[in-house]
Amino acid sequence: MQITRRQGGALAMASLLAARGVRAATPGVLVRSDSPPANLDPHQLFDVPMMGYALNAYDGLYRYENNPPELQPWLAEGHTASADGLEWEFRLRPEVRFHDGAPLTAEDVVYSFRRVLALGKAPASAFLGILKPENVTAPDARTVRFRLERAYGPFLAAIPIVAIVNSRLVRANEKDGDHGAAWLAGNEAGSGAYAFVPGSLTTLERLDMARFEGHFLGWSDNPSPVPRIAVRAAKETSTGVLGLLNGSIDWTDSYLPTDQVEQIQGSRVAQVAKDVSMRTFIIRMNNARAPFTSLNLRKAMAHAFNYDGFIQEILKGYADRNAGPIPNQLWGAPKDAPGYAYDLDKARHFLKLAQAEGFNPRQQIRIHIQSQLEQTNQAAQLFQSDLQSIGVNLRIVADTWANIVSATAKPETSPDMWIHWVSTYFVDPENWVGQMYDSRFHGTWKASSFYRNEKVDALLQRARGLVAQAERAPLYEEATRQVMADCADIWVYNTVELRGLARRLSGYRFCPAGGGAEMRWLQMKG
Amino acid sequence: MLVLRKFLRDIPAVIGAVIILFVVILALFGPWIAPYPEDASASHLLRRLKPPSAAYPFGTDNLGRDILSRVILGARGALKVALVVVGLAMAIGVPLGLLAGYERGVLAEAIMRVTDVFLALPQLILALALAQLLGPSVESAMLALTLTYWPFFTRIVHAETQRLRNALFIDALQGIGAGTPRILLLHILPNILSPIIVRATIGLGFTILVAAVLGFLGMGATPPDPDWGLAVAQSRTYLPNAWWFATFPGLAILIAVLGFNLLGDGLRDLVDPRLRRSR
Amino acid sequence: MAGFIARRVLLVLPSLLGLLVVTFLLIRTVPADPAVALAGDNATPEQIEAIRRQYGLDQPLLVQFGRYLAGVARLDFGASQFSGRPVAADIAQRLPATLELTFAALLIGAGLGIPLGVVAAMNHNRWPDFLLRILSVGGIAIAAFWLAIMLQLLFAMQLGWLPLRGQLSVGLTPPGGPTGFLLLDSLLHGRLDILGDALRHLVLPAVTLSVGGLATIARFTRAGVLDTLQKDFVLYERAVGFPRRRMVWIYVLRNSVVATVSQIGLLFGSLIAGAVVVEAIYDWPGIGSYTVQAILTADAKVMLAVTLLVGVIYAAVNILTDLALALIDPRIREGR
Repeated sequence: MQITRRQGGALAMASLLAARGVRAATPGVLVRSDSPPANLDPHQLFDVPMMGYALNAYDGLYRYENNPPELQPWLAEGHTASADGLEWEFRLRPEVRFHDGAPLTAEDVVYSFRRVLALGKAPASAFLGILKPENVTAPDARTVRFRLERAYGPFLAAIPIVAIVNSRLVRANEKDGDHGAAWLAGNEAGSGAYAFVPGSLTTLERLDMARFEGHFLGWSDNPSPVPRIAVRAAKETSTGVLGLLNGSIDWTDSYLPTDQVEQIQGSRVAQVAKDVSMRTFIIRMNNARAPFTSLNLRKAMAHAFNYDGFIQEILKGYADRNAGPIPNQLWGAPKDAPGYAYDLDKARHFLKLAQAEGFNPRQQIRIHIQSQLEQTNQAAQLFQSDLQSIGVNLRIVADTWANIVSATAKPETSPDMWIHWVSTYFVDPENWVGQMYDSRFHGTWKASSFYRNEKVDALLQRARGLVAQAERAPLYEEATRQVMADCADIWVYNTVELRGLARRLSGYRFCPAGGGAEMRWLQMKG
Repeated sequence: MLVLRKFLRDIPAVIGAVIILFVVILALFGPWIAPYPEDASASHLLRRLKPPSAAYPFGTDNLGRDILSRVILGARGALKVALVVVGLAMAIGVPLGLLAGYERGVLAEAIMRVTDVFLALPQLILALALAQLLGPSVESAMLALTLTYWPFFTRIVHAETQRLRNALFIDALQGIGAGTPRILLLHILPNILSPIIVRATIGLGFTILVAAVLGFLGMGATPPDPDWGLAVAQSRTYLPNAWWFATFPGLAILIAVLGFNLLGDGLRDLVDPRLRRSR
Repeated sequence: MAGFIARRVLLVLPSLLGLLVVTFLLIRTVPADPAVALAGDNATPEQIEAIRRQYGLDQPLLVQFGRYLAGVARLDFGASQFSGRPVAADIAQRLPATLELTFAALLIGAGLGIPLGVVAAMNHNRWPDFLLRILSVGGIAIAAFWLAIMLQLLFAMQLGWLPLRGQLSVGLTPPGGPTGFLLLDSLLHGRLDILGDALRHLVLPAVTLSVGGLATIARFTRAGVLDTLQKDFVLYERAVGFPRRRMVWIYVLRNSVVATVSQIGLLFGSLIAGAVVVEAIYDWPGIGSYTVQAILTADAKVMLAVTLLVGVIYAAVNILTDLALALIDPRIREGR
């Protein structure tokens, strides 16, 4: 009864707020309220805001489309790989042009990959260990050849990370051997469906993009594409939601708080797109340091988190329980591993066993949250409340991403527990179980549980060196089963991404890699 | 008695005093007054974000906790932060200001330059650094606030002292050989109390508000503290829908700060000797 | 007078150096390592170390600071460690927006606060005084972001009179140059449509930001006027029958603004700090939101530059304040 009344109230409020809405929309301009990337160079950054920009301004050899994601030829028409997985050859499409009219050739692809490796920033990390700059070559104008140092299973999956830049334009703006890094940070040299409007950038606040008529895919499939995009970052959720309701914002980021969904759905000018993504929510435990060296204590913790309560009540059901590290819908995730369930009796049982091993329940366990991300806070408080009832003392420490990530460099400084998501950077189990639980990655935030199991290391190492998915899948499944049996972390859910969209938009296409930020499929009325 | 009668005539000041008394009572006896004292840390998922009702007069928050209880329980923390920060800031700032305003030469210059450095130090950056050094907590926030707040007292005391230093009665005191500490404490300080009190009362409110901003940036109180500022900060995500979540802790801040300032105004009128003489 | 100013300007330099030293040390104590963020998700410790070398983060503290100072002396503030963008360019682009907002807020604060304070003092302990005191105190006590959201709900959503956020409507293009100040530039280019649109966008943020300052100014004016009203010369003038109203506006206000003016100087600094929250809610593209981002990403170059900037602005305002005080109250000038 109470819930219905509240829903009614929310709807009434939404319609009230939306009453004057439509007028605030700008004809012919789509207003995005997600953040633009910190700089515009796709070879210096690789994060969600960058994907939101680069998927539009640039093209790659391959691209992920649809949900679940499919790897599709994009600038390349196709590729061949040698049986040992060391030689890769990509054949480029003809007649692709950059925004300045220059043709896109194999030379640009070679330059782009070498530039990524030379800069050594975020997009390079997938390639640095396996690819030398001189081994990316262009036998002819439409062929690019890669020779890897050793076989790397996820190589193809990581290919979409590298945006192809206009080599002549960037070279012309190089300064002191910086590979044009300073210039490209505020300019654009791409071939994508939308072109950056020069001079429209205010760092982290706003930038404008205009539709590129000459995009290689053409526009015949889209009768009413968006002519112009204005990125105007909304810093506060409430401002973003209000903007959506009065029509002045057409498109928000895809992490709307679940409590806002109802109100937006009730509006006449906006709606929420809900898409199952590949982005797992995890509570980390520092396995290398007491008290979490104890398997029994880890199990007690895993049984004390109220998964259903968190997902159903706090997230309103906008998440899927994901009992292991790999997103459920991805290959390599074992279908038969049961995972852990909320059961305080079992938690007490394992706690007793842990105490017998010497765990002192009065000892304070510290969980670090990202204070900018309210959901990590809610999860920690829910956890704290349940742990208190079984006599475990959990202390919440507010922290920032930059600090936590620096602290995870060593097991001594890494927090007892912390909370984060693992997003799709490339669609491969390596992105999750591989980089999270292989001990070779200790010192990176993704491996911050400092889990060590030689059997798992060996399995992951073998899986990485193979190319065929059929051979790799069972290895990842076995490794995952073992990690879950060892209860390395507390795996909570797989995200449902929630993006606010104006009702004048249609044709929204979501893909877990990039979160649906590719604008060329959208149609806009007015 | 005369003082009390005069004070009682000042209606805003009386309102302020009543508010402060109320806040102090809440701070002292909160856990016995709050209807659901366990909601300081418990969570109740089935009654999240319920609007105000008979059972929960201020509604419930994002974890189903009674907001009225948490507002009551939060009084203690708010009072502690405000009093400690302003007390420490005055203890540092007032003596330095007196000295710098009265003395001439290198010492005065040095004090004022150091004051300028701290005054110009952006509060947020300092608070962040301290939060990292000591771990984010109320204590590190209090230290950061103190370190950035004392210069305000120094500045204002300095300006006022400088103004008074040339006054005839100080000349006279110097003439009859009164010592510097005596002049500063017994003659200058009472004469500049009024701006200090005004500044301190503003400071009490200001401190609570800035502590709220620090909570907003994740550098002040840590969950699940029933901190008012933290509650308002957390409620942002649920606006405009769950208006009660932001409004009641916000009102608590407003009313407490209002009380301090009204009371401070009234006190100012009382301690000012010239006002006492004339009315 | 010129000597007075020159002396003040010279004295500022060591303060600014001190400010940089303190800030540099504070930032260096923060464990957050920008190299980790730059290296990205899958980076190995070796890759992170390479980036640290590239940015000189592996050098001794003194060397790093020396390099930084040498850069600052050439007005080169380096590039943001987080974004790779030049810090000076980013700040130059954003500072005008913050200054416009702050000036507007100060204008509203002083324009309303001083008369309100005088009225309250003249009606000491009568109902206009009570009312103004409660209202002005309430102004200080209100949390800026709560007020901001309420104003948005009322004026942008319900009434639809004012825009919800931003500095300019999406359909309009800023005129560009020569000053970087949107209001000034649109005036210089004769673009009254842009000027009008920008003013409409300015109203809500400026009002939100002004509320605390308005209340402070009103209180100090009231206190100052009350003080002066008790001075012997005023009592004397009153005794000889000088018209009360004229006396207040001519003599009393002039003598009581000392405290108020030094408050306005202090307020400017706190308004710039207060802009952090207001800019975030109204999506105002100023340095406030830039600073928050820098803090969250431990971007030392940006934090240092912003600290220095606030310090310079603060020092400039201080000198101007002292100047104003010296003009108002000759005793201060002669004391020097």
